[in-house]
Amino acid sequence: MDLKDRVEDEGNAAGTDGSFDPGRADPGALARFRRTEFGRSIFRTPGRLTPRDRAAGHWANFFLHIYPVKMRRAEAGFRYSWYLGVISTVLLGSLVVSGIYLMFFYVPTPNQAYVNIQTLQVDVRFGQYIRNVHRWSAHLMVLAVAAHMARVFYRGAHKKPRQFNWVIGVVLLVLTLLLSFTGYLLPWDQLAFWAVTVGSEMAGYVPFVGNEVRETLLGGSSVGAPTLLRFYVLHVVVLPLLLGVVLMIHLWRWRKDSMLDLDPSGRANDSKGDDGD
Amino acid sequence: MTETNIDGSTPVEDNRRVLGIVPGKPVAGDRKEPDRQDLVMVWPHVLVRHAVVAMAVVVVVLLASVFFDAPLRAVANPTLTPNPEKAPWYFAALQELLSHFHPLVAGVLIPAAVIVGLGALPYIDTNPTRRPRDRKVAVLAFTMVMVLWIALTIIGFAFRGPNWEWVWPWVEWHGEL
Repeated sequence: MDLKDRVEDEGNAAGTDGSFDPGRADPGALARFRRTEFGRSIFRTPGRLTPRDRAAGHWANFFLHIYPVKMRRAEAGFRYSWYLGVISTVLLGSLVVSGIYLMFFYVPTPNQAYVNIQTLQVDVRFGQYIRNVHRWSAHLMVLAVAAHMARVFYRGAHKKPRQFNWVIGVVLLVLTLLLSFTGYLLPWDQLAFWAVTVGSEMAGYVPFVGNEVRETLLGGSSVGAPTLLRFYVLHVVVLPLLLGVVLMIHLWRWRKDSMLDLDPSGRANDSKGDDGD
Repeated sequence: MTETNIDGSTPVEDNRRVLGIVPGKPVAGDRKEPDRQDLVMVWPHVLVRHAVVAMAVVVVVLLASVFFDAPLRAVANPTLTPNPEKAPWYFAALQELLSHFHPLVAGVLIPAAVIVGLGALPYIDTNPTRRPRDRKVAVLAFTMVMVLWIALTIIGFAFRGPNWEWVWPWVEWHGEL
């Protein structure tokens, strides 16, 4: 056992994460690969010898920058969050991937939209399947985001000092609903047309400016070709960009707050959790 | 060797004295039970769980998409109004409210109050405690509004038929996803 291996084992034995593995002799294939010239060029970080090095490895990884390096044990488990935020985010990813595929086969005009969907379902490879993925992911995302909100409330995770991240979450819920609603029109079938007609009638009830709001949304006095184009642009460009930016702020604040040490009565236990990372 | 120490044990070695007795501890330091407030490394403890959840979600979506096709009705026809005329399911509660109250109340005031109220909730519910038993009022109020909203959604989605009249979903199905 050379010095490097020995230090690595000691680093693990003293690990702050509870992973105590004194008997580990073989560092494993991945660890051996990481030490090759090629492996070092991929993973960038040198061998993680101590807990501090492991944290540094996390820091140095671009893909892990949305996560904190450490979290409270209580907040890592299923019981805490039911992982509803993760589920919402994964569904968003599924929607982006399937939505981009659908965009290749879709033109937002009343003459072509419906025919495009029919062609997609019959002639395009995986067309019907990807459309199903998009549809069910969208419905599930509305459910997951709403359930996430309820879970956060019952957990008391919206309380000081996290209040404003809850407000950002409410914005995300509204954006999710708007994304789902604008997407609902795009197949241009009877279901889409009349659901959006009913939904947009509500905007018309706003006092004084109701009709203006409604006509701006629809691009006319009723659902028609301008509506389809407007909803399409909102659905594939404006709202996803907005959602993406607001989601980044939401996750950034989650990461910064993840080290807070609060006892159940809401008092901060000490000041070591002031800075999230 | 007949000499004994004060605690009855024998001295370690001749010519050495016992100077003190300390409670047994592992050499490496204090071991303690893992506390729920302890910090754990995100890799692997959190990331592995998140990866499992992500895969489970993807599997659910991919399987649902095998068995259920997204609906596609006849092409949009502005001259042919379906009966009932249904909003998407997440607006079904609002549509149900519209059938009971003035449109200004059900279509504008209530949705605005719900969104503003939700946004302001952490500033209304300022009680700092997180224990459910110490925040019964907040939990009860939130639960009542949520149950009411879910009930209205289910009624509007599944229990309303032509002319927005009551139907039993197992007799006539009018829900649309």
